[in-house]
Amino acid sequence: MSSVASIEINKVSKTFPGKSGQGGWKALDGATFTVKPGEFVCILGPSGCGKSTLLNILGGLDDQYEGVASILGRPVDEQIANGVRVAYVFQEPRLMPWRTVRSNIEFALQAAGFAAAEWPERIDRCLALVELSAFGDFYPLQLSGGMQQRASIARAFSIEPEVLLMDEPFSALDELTARRLRQQLLTIWSKFRSTVLFVTHNAFEATFLSDRILMMTKGPGGRFCDEIGLQALTRPRSYEDVRVFETSKAVVERLVGHVGSIDKD
Amino acid sequence: MAPPSATADYAAPLAAPSAERITAKISRWIETYSGDRLIKGASVLTLVGLWYFGAFMLPSSVMPAPHVVVGVLWQEVTAGPIWRDVAITLTRIALAFSTAMSIAIVLGFAMGLSKRAEHFFDVWVVGGITVPSLVLILTIFMIIGLNEKAAIIAAALPVIPILTINIWEGIKGVDQKLIDMSRAFHARQSRIILSVIAPQIAPTLMASARFGLGLIWKMTLFVELLGRSDGVGYKIEFYYQMFNMSEVLAHALLFLFIMLFLEIVVLGKLEARLFRWRPTRRKL
Repeated sequence: MSSVASIEINKVSKTFPGKSGQGGWKALDGATFTVKPGEFVCILGPSGCGKSTLLNILGGLDDQYEGVASILGRPVDEQIANGVRVAYVFQEPRLMPWRTVRSNIEFALQAAGFAAAEWPERIDRCLALVELSAFGDFYPLQLSGGMQQRASIARAFSIEPEVLLMDEPFSALDELTARRLRQQLLTIWSKFRSTVLFVTHNAFEATFLSDRILMMTKGPGGRFCDEIGLQALTRPRSYEDVRVFETSKAVVERLVGHVGSIDKD
Repeated sequence: MAPPSATADYAAPLAAPSAERITAKISRWIETYSGDRLIKGASVLTLVGLWYFGAFMLPSSVMPAPHVVVGVLWQEVTAGPIWRDVAITLTRIALAFSTAMSIAIVLGFAMGLSKRAEHFFDVWVVGGITVPSLVLILTIFMIIGLNEKAAIIAAALPVIPILTINIWEGIKGVDQKLIDMSRAFHARQSRIILSVIAPQIAPTLMASARFGLGLIWKMTLFVELLGRSDGVGYKIEFYYQMFNMSEVLAHALLFLFIMLFLEIVVLGKLEARLFRWRPTRRKL
């Protein structure tokens, strides 16, 4: 793998303009970080700290910002034109209800430029990984919320993304379903080794999943204030592992420390 | 002896449940449809009854009874001349409908997707709705003349702004989240319009088509009455001048059947096929 950083965010600022250009909301203020190839990084921060804004910038959904956002060493918009594969898992499944699960994945494969002959094999493989093999020909509205989210994870991995962006993908699910999906996500990730940038406000989730946690301060003007390496927690990780639990407690304390200190200002 | 008896043993239990299944299917079918069909049948009968009541109260030259009208219609249908007018009118409806629908789709999409187009056509469309159809039709006849082209344009024009507003609103209601999803997966703009936006406005387009067809057919009759010398609209006006209400109603009735067929069988089937991904609607 190349030594170029998978994701690089350098002094990125973003202000949402208010009405008639006055009193805008500064979502990001000079955010800076890098993610190495194949790394699983969680961005942890309170609501409204600009986490999703960052993902939107990296996903090419938002090109109105200051600073530099690059993927594999080139600016985001340039890489999109170059056909670098970036996948996105949203908080909601965002499947097209009029297409079957299979056909929803085909949409992503087509957009990513894969030859149609490859589709069936790729789809079958990804559906098997999220345990939805029997449901390929179902319409999304015939599936439960957890199954829909699994389908959207299958869609993301089907294009073998170089970078995978995940925006609180499990926050709308019940805890037991979320646990299963987190475990599944790690299994799939260990097979694909995509670079993952995972946004969450759940400290335990961040600890369980990632190699490294980047903490953000509360908005307005979200910045990165802390970084916690989790290489010590060897993979595969399990929910029963006391170290994961203890570490997550420490992470919460650090988070409260940062967010709390801002409250006192 | 052993093998044949074995076959018989297998055959018997197979035959019994299939017969049972058929009866079960039939009873389920009756259960599902009898309620709805019963109400629909009662509704049609009530209408016919009201018509008979009207015919009883009014002179037969003003309101002939249903069976009289059906008799006249039967004569027309078997003798044949009515089919020529029906064909002419249906052609005009088809041409006017496709004209109105294509223009409304282009305008509606443009207004829904571009702010500039929205600001530019806003006044036209809202203004177009407020102008009475009669004024539009007469103006077209004055400008183009009393010919076939004018008739089709005149039938289409009053309907265009109404359909445009429908489609425009439909596009404004498109789910931005799905568009963001397709952009995040780097789908091309043309693909997004075709695969993400179009299916979402298909229900609106379908509703507009049904609605538009109903409006166009009324406009076409109006236009024929005002400026053509053939077609169902002309015939209705002709028999009205002759004070022959049986013929007026017979022509109207035939067209009612044809439009019902188009509406329920053709468009209804198409709708059921297009939207089979929707879960069955529950009672409110």
